[in-house]
Amino acid sequence: MMTFLYFIPNSWLPLLESAFYALIFPGFVAILLLAFFIIWFERKAAARVQMRYGPLWVSKRTGGIIQLLADMIRFSFQEFIIPQGADFIPFVFLPGLLLAFSVLPTVFIPIGPDYSHIFPSNYSLLLAVAFTLVIPVYLVALGWAADNKFSFIGALREAYLLVSYEVPFILAVASAFLLYGSLDLVKIVGIQEGTLPGIILNPLAAIVYIIAVIRATGRVPYDIVEADSELVFGPYTEYSSLMFGFVMGVPYIELYSYSLLFSVLFLSGWAPVTGIGFLGGLILPGIVTFVKSVIVMCFLVFLRAVYPRYKLDKAVRAGWSWVFYLALAALLLSAVVSRVLW
Amino acid sequence: MTQEIKTVPFTYEVLSQLEMKEGILELQIGPAHAGSGHMRVLAWVEGDTVVKVDPDVGFVHRGVEKLSEDRLYIKAIPMVERPSLVDTVNANLGYVIALERLLGLEPPPRAQYIRVITAEISRIMSHLYGIAIYGIFMGSSTVFMWAVADREPFIDLLQELTGARVTYSHIIPGGVRWDLPKDFADKVEVALRYLENRMKDYEKVWINNPVVMARSMGVGKLSAQDATRLGVVGPNLRASGVEYDVRKNDPYAAYADFDFEIPTFKEGDSYSRLLIRVEEIKQSMSIIRQALKRLPEGKVIYEDYYKRMSPLMKEIYDKTGRVKFTLMLTSLSPPKGEAISRVEGGRGEMFYYLVSDGGKNPYRFRLVTPSFRNLPYFTHVMPGHKLADIPVIYGSIDYFPPEADR
Repeated sequence: MMTFLYFIPNSWLPLLESAFYALIFPGFVAILLLAFFIIWFERKAAARVQMRYGPLWVSKRTGGIIQLLADMIRFSFQEFIIPQGADFIPFVFLPGLLLAFSVLPTVFIPIGPDYSHIFPSNYSLLLAVAFTLVIPVYLVALGWAADNKFSFIGALREAYLLVSYEVPFILAVASAFLLYGSLDLVKIVGIQEGTLPGIILNPLAAIVYIIAVIRATGRVPYDIVEADSELVFGPYTEYSSLMFGFVMGVPYIELYSYSLLFSVLFLSGWAPVTGIGFLGGLILPGIVTFVKSVIVMCFLVFLRAVYPRYKLDKAVRAGWSWVFYLALAALLLSAVVSRVLW
Repeated sequence: MTQEIKTVPFTYEVLSQLEMKEGILELQIGPAHAGSGHMRVLAWVEGDTVVKVDPDVGFVHRGVEKLSEDRLYIKAIPMVERPSLVDTVNANLGYVIALERLLGLEPPPRAQYIRVITAEISRIMSHLYGIAIYGIFMGSSTVFMWAVADREPFIDLLQELTGARVTYSHIIPGGVRWDLPKDFADKVEVALRYLENRMKDYEKVWINNPVVMARSMGVGKLSAQDATRLGVVGPNLRASGVEYDVRKNDPYAAYADFDFEIPTFKEGDSYSRLLIRVEEIKQSMSIIRQALKRLPEGKVIYEDYYKRMSPLMKEIYDKTGRVKFTLMLTSLSPPKGEAISRVEGGRGEMFYYLVSDGGKNPYRFRLVTPSFRNLPYFTHVMPGHKLADIPVIYGSIDYFPPEADR
């Protein structure tokens, strides 16, 4: 394992591997690079549908892929305005917390079979889901802290949608648990490798999961929280400069962790590629998992070009009616399928 | 969700009572807001339900009426176009018809036909713009981009005809400024076929979109009786089931010659207001085709004005079809009197009232625009709906603040 790093003592290697995992590959650096790609893809794909160019003039040769970098530079030179009535500490620190908590779930989601000796993965599904569920709480607090009516309404909408779509989401995850009989994501992928991908075993759970992800990350048609023609920018209305960049990036990072979990739960993760060691057990399978989740992300951001925005009361009603029933049906299906298969 | 008409007048007493009541939040949507346009919408919400809406108009008042009292008759033409920038031909036409009634002249039939063609092209552009704004207010950037881009072939047509892209000032007292270019009919046909194909895409992505249906069906309902009582005009009135169109009821230009229908819908909700614009685009296409087919020969300017042209001007007109302004045309002084005219603009009936005291400037000019008359939708239809319905109703009535402010 990592024989090329011969000058480093063997006892340090697990630490280095974990650092690499958290900071570089599925972790921080990969997320930043992916954010560049996915925001570029979203704008470019929508532009393609809408008969225009999209980002182009920042690095024309690459099709404007570093547009986000240019935007970030611009943001960083803008003034960070703190409204007079805002609650100072939450207003300033919550975006950072949001960012941290949207990155954290990626640590608990394995991208390769050799993950379990970096972090013990017995309860990785539970931990990943638990950390994704923390984010909305901060979002509601952030909307309250800004002391703006539109932020406040946005936060309330988030709370309403949270309670109505978190239940189907948890039911979808629970039906995955019921299907595989394990909370260990490495084992879950192993089971899928042996039989079929989860999306075929339980398509209902996958659909409910995707709907809940669209809701949680504010993709169209569920961009009800940010709704620009109604609420300016929802809970984030008062943010400016680099802080705006942070809060704008949070939904994309959330989207990444949700998609990573989706590809592990339902798309059999690193399925065709498997092995041991740092390279064969983590990096190569990791790339497969990563590509799968990027495809899921691309699908989710493309919805923007097709749908208008849904309405709050109808979304809440849908969340408690057909999405909920679908989630219950997914649970039932999981019970039946797991009974038949093993 | 039916709306009963609330006849409580807007007074500051009512307002303060509302503010005193507990649990009511006052929202100032605009004037710098993505969902307000050039106006401010004051909305009072109780929970998520709107209890009162007060449209605060006047942010883009340009003073067209007063300014025109200080100008020659012909110089008011570019000004009357300004309020409704996406429907300039109809605005221009209404003013010129009022002026012609003052002058007591009747333009030649070819000029009348050209006026109809340009006015219908303008109507198509106006409706496309309305669909675009409706799209972006409902959160669909795709339909916004599409509809704005699909105005382009028609802008190009009028650009070829007049040289301008937005304010054409093509219609003048006695006729029009340019005759149609030679292959204009073919180019119009190309543009119309393009739009016909595009309308199929709109139907797929926008009109039959389940989210659009869920959000706009039954939202912002106004019955036929209430619509006539509140005096709303244009496609919005027809979407409520009232068959009223100035082109049919009080024909002007050459509209009496054409065979077209007035589409109406019974529902009177936001969705039918979207559908009616689509249907009217189809009717406009049919009118343009009929007009191009039956385009009469002859001059495009009033015979008397042609006679008064200098030999050079006549030569230019005969060669290029371009009307040079004679001194007679630039310094019109109609006899003492008053005249009114009505035209059916893209957003509804436009009303013009012109008073002459025999001088070179209008003594009084009054302009009533359709957007202004559609304001009751804010005060009477929006209350009782959810907060998220405000942009939907706003977008569906195709309200254009500069037009209302004049």
